[in-house]
Amino acid sequence: MPAGLDKLKHIVVLMMENRSFDHMLGGLMKQNPRINGLTGNEVNPDMTGTMVKVQPNAKFQGQLDHDPDHHFPGVDLQIFGGTPPGAGRAANMQGFIKSYATQGTSTNASRAIMSYFPPDQLPVLTRLATEYAVFNGWFSSIPGPTICNRAFAHYGTSFGNVDMNLFYIQDPIASIYERMIQAGHTAKIYYYDQQSSTMEIVNLLKNQPKIFGSYKQFIADCNGNTLPEYSFIEPCYNDHPGPGGGQILASDQHPDHNVREGERFIANTYNAIRTNPQLWETTALLVVYDEHGGIYDHVVPPAVQSDGYSASAAKTGTGEAFNFDRLGIRVPAILVSPYIPRGTVVAGPEDPNSGRIFEHACIPGTVTSFFLKNYDNRTIREKNSQSFLTPLTNTLRPDDDCWVFAV
Amino acid sequence: MDKKYKLVQKVPKTPKSAYNHHRFISSLIHHQLKHFNELEKSLLKAGKKLTDLSRIKTELHASKYLKKMTALLHPQGVEKPQKTVRRKKVRKAAKVRAKSKQVKRRRRA
Repeated sequence: MPAGLDKLKHIVVLMMENRSFDHMLGGLMKQNPRINGLTGNEVNPDMTGTMVKVQPNAKFQGQLDHDPDHHFPGVDLQIFGGTPPGAGRAANMQGFIKSYATQGTSTNASRAIMSYFPPDQLPVLTRLATEYAVFNGWFSSIPGPTICNRAFAHYGTSFGNVDMNLFYIQDPIASIYERMIQAGHTAKIYYYDQQSSTMEIVNLLKNQPKIFGSYKQFIADCNGNTLPEYSFIEPCYNDHPGPGGGQILASDQHPDHNVREGERFIANTYNAIRTNPQLWETTALLVVYDEHGGIYDHVVPPAVQSDGYSASAAKTGTGEAFNFDRLGIRVPAILVSPYIPRGTVVAGPEDPNSGRIFEHACIPGTVTSFFLKNYDNRTIREKNSQSFLTPLTNTLRPDDDCWVFAV
Repeated sequence: MDKKYKLVQKVPKTPKSAYNHHRFISSLIHHQLKHFNELEKSLLKAGKKLTDLSRIKTELHASKYLKKMTALLHPQGVEKPQKTVRRKKVRKAAKVRAKSKQVKRRRRA
């Protein structure tokens, strides 16, 4: 076992909202051709049939104020370009502008779905992606919205759901938190504060209030060396007044929340670990997005082993049932640890020989395998999922070689 | 940060204009509220009315409802109100100001 894994005591996952890989990190390919981003020539047709190229003109706020569709039928259109379900249809990633235009946006405004950030606009995400490990092939688990995708991060399945509706856990599958606690380990979900609360829904909140903490508690746990073995962090999901007359900004980066505030949140989370020497050497931080939020990415989502569930045609809204046998659109994913060499790129589907596919079932899959070793009550998909800890090596980078953020 | 670090990346501030708690809630927040509303049903005391979600239109409305519901479910996460502390400070500051005025008046006299 590499020293990085041998020394590992804590895994922290920070899950942001609704941005695709190309939108946030696609511009990095010009700096490092091993990163599977944008050449600048990727196109999508608009409603007039004009081919529109990707543009490095993404804005922090105000550009996607009409929340781009990312429900199952909308994502189907984005992936298949409008070809209706049926045998032999091929994914072409040509329906992003069409999808946004069907929401009543003008021809001009619908083109904004092809926008991406130049790397210097996102100093935090860019710094982490280039300093540690970036995954070329991390996909959302379902071509659909937030709740069902986040379910994969907590349970390794969405129990057959492809939408935002309330779902119920089906025995014998337990959440990663319950698995950890029942085996004598420690795990926590940190939501930002009570006004923002959690997306991890009624199931856990109802039965397991003890596994929840606030972000303030996360910072205290980092400072006090009381961080659980596994932590899942939720950003702030809404703007609301803060204590003492202050203002708390949403930091989830969900359109149309300000992307810069999300950058600050990621930086603060990283700093909390980075500036505690004891924690820094024993923690792996995964920054990942739940789904693409309707925003363009050029990589065709690959097939995946089914989790054994099926969503009926009525549930998907496309006229075709979904067997959870292909993934959703690609999202940014970065793994941080001082045991990761600078500039690590984990190859994805662009490399047919050594590329690997990751998705949110890898989160409970990796945490379970690392802390609990053999654990049977999980889906076959989760059991066979890739470990995201493989970029950790034997070599600890010197402290002076790792950045901190001045927030 | 007390320690000095060699490699420091500056992170730009978010403009104050980004804040808008009157923003209409997204589909995501709407569904979050729906889930909490389901939960509220199970916690409802006799004679109490279920919260009407159609009246929650903005992020500010949503945050108030989420705070109320989360506090019920996760009482250990309740943050202590800071008003008392502030009032004390304000009172202290007022006392200091009053005293210094008295001293000044005495000097003038």
